[in-house]
Amino acid sequence: MGFFDFFKKKKKAKADEPKAAPAKEQPKAAAKAEAAAAPAPAAGKTGFTPYPAADLGELLPPAPAGGKIKIAIYWTAGCGGCDVSILDTNERVLTIAQFADIVMWPVATDGKEKDIEALDDGAITVSLINGAIRNSENEHMAKLLRKKSVLVVAYGTCAMFGGSPALANLVPGGASEILDYVYTKTPSSAAFQERYHKDAAVVPKTVIEVPEGTLTLPVVYDTVKTLDQVIDVDYYIPGCPPQQESISHLLKAVVDFVYNGVALPPKGAEIGVTEKCLCDECPRTKEYARITKIYEPYQVNVDPEKCLMDQGILCLGPATVGGCNAKCTKVGQPCRGCYGPTRLVQEHGASALTAIASLFPVLDDDPTCDEDQIIEIMKTVKDPLGYFYAYTLGKSLIKRTVVEEN
Amino acid sequence: MADNFEPLIVTFCCNWCSYAGADNAGVGRRQMPPNFRIIRTMCSARIDPEFILRAFAKGADGVMVLGCHPADCHYIGGNYRARRRIALIRLVLEQYGFDPRRLKLEWVSASEGEKFQTTVVNFVDVIKALGPTPVKSKKAKDMSDNTTVKAAIKEE
Repeated sequence: MGFFDFFKKKKKAKADEPKAAPAKEQPKAAAKAEAAAAPAPAAGKTGFTPYPAADLGELLPPAPAGGKIKIAIYWTAGCGGCDVSILDTNERVLTIAQFADIVMWPVATDGKEKDIEALDDGAITVSLINGAIRNSENEHMAKLLRKKSVLVVAYGTCAMFGGSPALANLVPGGASEILDYVYTKTPSSAAFQERYHKDAAVVPKTVIEVPEGTLTLPVVYDTVKTLDQVIDVDYYIPGCPPQQESISHLLKAVVDFVYNGVALPPKGAEIGVTEKCLCDECPRTKEYARITKIYEPYQVNVDPEKCLMDQGILCLGPATVGGCNAKCTKVGQPCRGCYGPTRLVQEHGASALTAIASLFPVLDDDPTCDEDQIIEIMKTVKDPLGYFYAYTLGKSLIKRTVVEEN
Repeated sequence: MADNFEPLIVTFCCNWCSYAGADNAGVGRRQMPPNFRIIRTMCSARIDPEFILRAFAKGADGVMVLGCHPADCHYIGGNYRARRRIALIRLVLEQYGFDPRRLKLEWVSASEGEKFQTTVVNFVDVIKALGPTPVKSKKAKDMSDNTTVKAAIKEE
């Protein structure tokens, strides 16, 4: 979420809240709300500052008088890792079942589209949607869940920023070029078409007439969208996949709301992130070394104490918001930026690019060398667009490739 | 290309050299095409690549970044940082499909009103030859709104 969005979202009044909540003890609730709204740990560059999981406490009391709340979990264009990450909550998953009915979760339960359509508008309390909007079916389901739910959470990097699916926006020809490549150009498809459909390549159609009626498939979009470019989103949880801590904070907010009437976090809040960038949580020590050559972690013996940037490994930590407890950098892998930018930055890639370009040292002949020489130096960064925008292309300023006309 | 195409150019000038250079060009009554808008920054290193991308995303046909000559920066090393960022953002713009000539980096000192004039004149010529920004083309709009593919759904 960018700097300007932050102010926009604040202005919008939160229109609707679930009605099933028994409100009691307002002053206490307000105090709790403050605690819930600011779960971030005390800041300070004292080495490693972990972002703790929210404590859900002992077993919950029986479901509230209004009955269990309803949760829907849906995947659009994602890998399924986000769905699995919900199971990272371990025994907390039982807590979910205690206070909520899961009405839809394609990987785990049996709810179907028609079941959701049969519900009243606003019958689902929380919908967790993970994945980007890649085709018409994704958009249809996102809109359907938005209609039927009070709260919609963009869960995971693909829903929030486009993630890896949004990198397909870099194909100039869009959907037709992608489909053509996949079904006729890749070695396995080419061999298949050559062997069985030599005269005319057979590619899937979106509509086909058969004796029993008309069959349709979803239409693939030219441009992958993030969830909030298609529907209104209440909360965001970044991560590829989101960490257990983020999920527990979301669950705590919902449980507190249902049982104690504690106000929910403000609309548009990012759950499970800190205010500062990843470097604040990273336990490595920085010496502000300059680099001239870039390495992948497998090419060098990664020093377990020193900053990865000092060792010539490109790390997106300086541009990426904290909250993941530096899981990757702790084990010697650079940050790839799945948590997205900090709150006041819109363009994650540009932010990372700025930090990394400054790492290259000023040369002795810098006052006399020309721009082409500098470009040669910067070409050490291979595929800058793919590297800096690996997760956030869908939310970037220029969302897809453009084609110069002449 | 339409003959009446007037490019829209965003120019970032550093406070200490190029902005004064632009002023010098004005005081010297040098003739320049009126296609550029100047944004003053304290240093060329203040120009976040995000500014450049935002200008292109909003439909600028070209972006110029002007700073102090190397070894002449008011903040000693700001322009060395800037030129590395601009080089890298140029590679990114190329990957996006822009012609890299749409982004120009030039060094203009406070006394170089004439250089400011020639830089602007040449850059406007280059952009006029390149044509309007591809961001605003109908094809780009159809692609980003998925208009074509959505039309296929409605035909069913």
